[in-house]
Amino acid sequence: MIRPDIQPHDGILVAKNLVKVFGQRTVLDDVSLAIEDGKTTVIIGTSGCGKTVFMKHLIVLERPTEGQVFFRGNRIDHLRPRQLADIRTQFGFCFQMGALFDSLTVFENIIFPIQQHRKITDYKALDELVKHKLALVGMDGYQNQYPASLSGGQKKRVALARAIALNPQVVLYDEPTTGLDPITSDIINELILKLQRELKVTSIVVTHDMKSAYKIADRIVMFYHGKIIADGNADLIRNHPNDLVQQFIEGRVSEADLAALRLGGTKYQTQFLPEDFK
Amino acid sequence: MIFAFFNKWIRGVENFGRFSRFIWASSKCISATAMQPRTYPLIWTQMNTIGVKSVPVVMATGAFVGMILAVQAYGQLAAMGLEERLGVLINIAVVKELGPVLAAVMLAGRVGGALTAELGTMNVTEQIAAVESMGTDPIKYLVAPRVLSCLLLTPALIVYADLLGILGGYFVSVIQFKINSGAYWDYSAMGVEFWDIGTGIFKGIFFGGAIAMISCYKGFTCREGAQGVGEACTEAFVGCFISILALNYVFAVVLDAIYKTFWPLRSLL
Repeated sequence: MIRPDIQPHDGILVAKNLVKVFGQRTVLDDVSLAIEDGKTTVIIGTSGCGKTVFMKHLIVLERPTEGQVFFRGNRIDHLRPRQLADIRTQFGFCFQMGALFDSLTVFENIIFPIQQHRKITDYKALDELVKHKLALVGMDGYQNQYPASLSGGQKKRVALARAIALNPQVVLYDEPTTGLDPITSDIINELILKLQRELKVTSIVVTHDMKSAYKIADRIVMFYHGKIIADGNADLIRNHPNDLVQQFIEGRVSEADLAALRLGGTKYQTQFLPEDFK
Repeated sequence: MIFAFFNKWIRGVENFGRFSRFIWASSKCISATAMQPRTYPLIWTQMNTIGVKSVPVVMATGAFVGMILAVQAYGQLAAMGLEERLGVLINIAVVKELGPVLAAVMLAGRVGGALTAELGTMNVTEQIAAVESMGTDPIKYLVAPRVLSCLLLTPALIVYADLLGILGGYFVSVIQFKINSGAYWDYSAMGVEFWDIGTGIFKGIFFGGAIAMISCYKGFTCREGAQGVGEACTEAFVGCFISILALNYVFAVVLDAIYKTFWPLRSLL
């Protein structure tokens, strides 16, 4: 399933041989991936494995050290900010903590991208549009609230409404269920499925919530230390022979990690004795 | 040790390069923003926050500067029998140096700190990345209105500081020290030229630009977490303060040279 010979037209979004280095640390190590149009691709992996950095490359919020990113066959990673602005209107990005603007109301947050890219003449139609977007995520009636007065789940739903304000072709979700209770997490999962079904958008979801991944994914890609180690549908991932994949999906700690924890405990006990603090 | 020093030096050069690019990008956006009527509401909002709300504190600063100058200088001038010339000393010091510099320092503390904290918090909560992800240039949307407001309103605030400085000095001199009011103003009018007032206000444009650029840059590049935002605010204030003093020194030298060369020629016109 992992194809190093990916071509620019193999998907709506294509990352080819991406390498990203921060200082001395290689976060993405020759990653190639083609995202299929109209499908939901879920990227899983342990914290710090490079999945969020990879997703930020897809919308060119990060520039690759090496490699290319293509959107509908056109290279975008080298474009100037002004050229990127038009392309970004075809994307919606739902940030991990929502990233709603604190100083603006829910209504103002949602019209922000519209104000920036469309000439508004009919304000009544704009009210209706905001109402419709909020209704899609079950938040109609919250137009005049400020983000500070919303719960974590509500913020994510409003962020989702803002992400789809310009009717994007691709919606990117960065850990949409992190920090939410199981019921709210499931509501977010249902929303992602609903948006994909009703708006026919291509969804890319970064998560480490396996329950969520199995529910929403057409395809699951697993990252490990900046590389793709597994790629396939939910069944393939469930039965993947790689032990790292199995450890991750079962939430099982490895023997090596356990040994390190034991060693850490022993050190603590022997290094610091109560008399050391007298 | 040499390696550590070399590394620090390289980081300093890198940082200066990034700051220069930030200034360049901001400067390009400022002219575009000034030409677009749809960005005017953003500029008005910032003008209200940065300018209007700073008026009381800047006025208080100016008033105290004038009053303190009067108290400090009176004794020395009175000893020489020159107390009626107190006005020229106070007013020239206020309009030329102390009014502009102290108003700018006060703005660096009030406005610079707030700008860095606001943009720094937006940075660490990914709000700046959100602006960018929606196809809007964050420098154009967030930096340009703030820089424009500072550029336009710092000179205006300096006028307030000067005015209150002059009045503060006058009241202490005339009411407390019983100096003749007419003589006070006559000597002031002889000593203070339009050049002094004009250059003091003119410097405000650059002080305002420095405050806004440094504060916004520190906010945009601040490290994550509460500590990162706090450090950025401190660095922004220190940077603004030193820049104001350094710019003031440069202006003192340059404007003095211009004055000596061209100002006497005005009588020929």
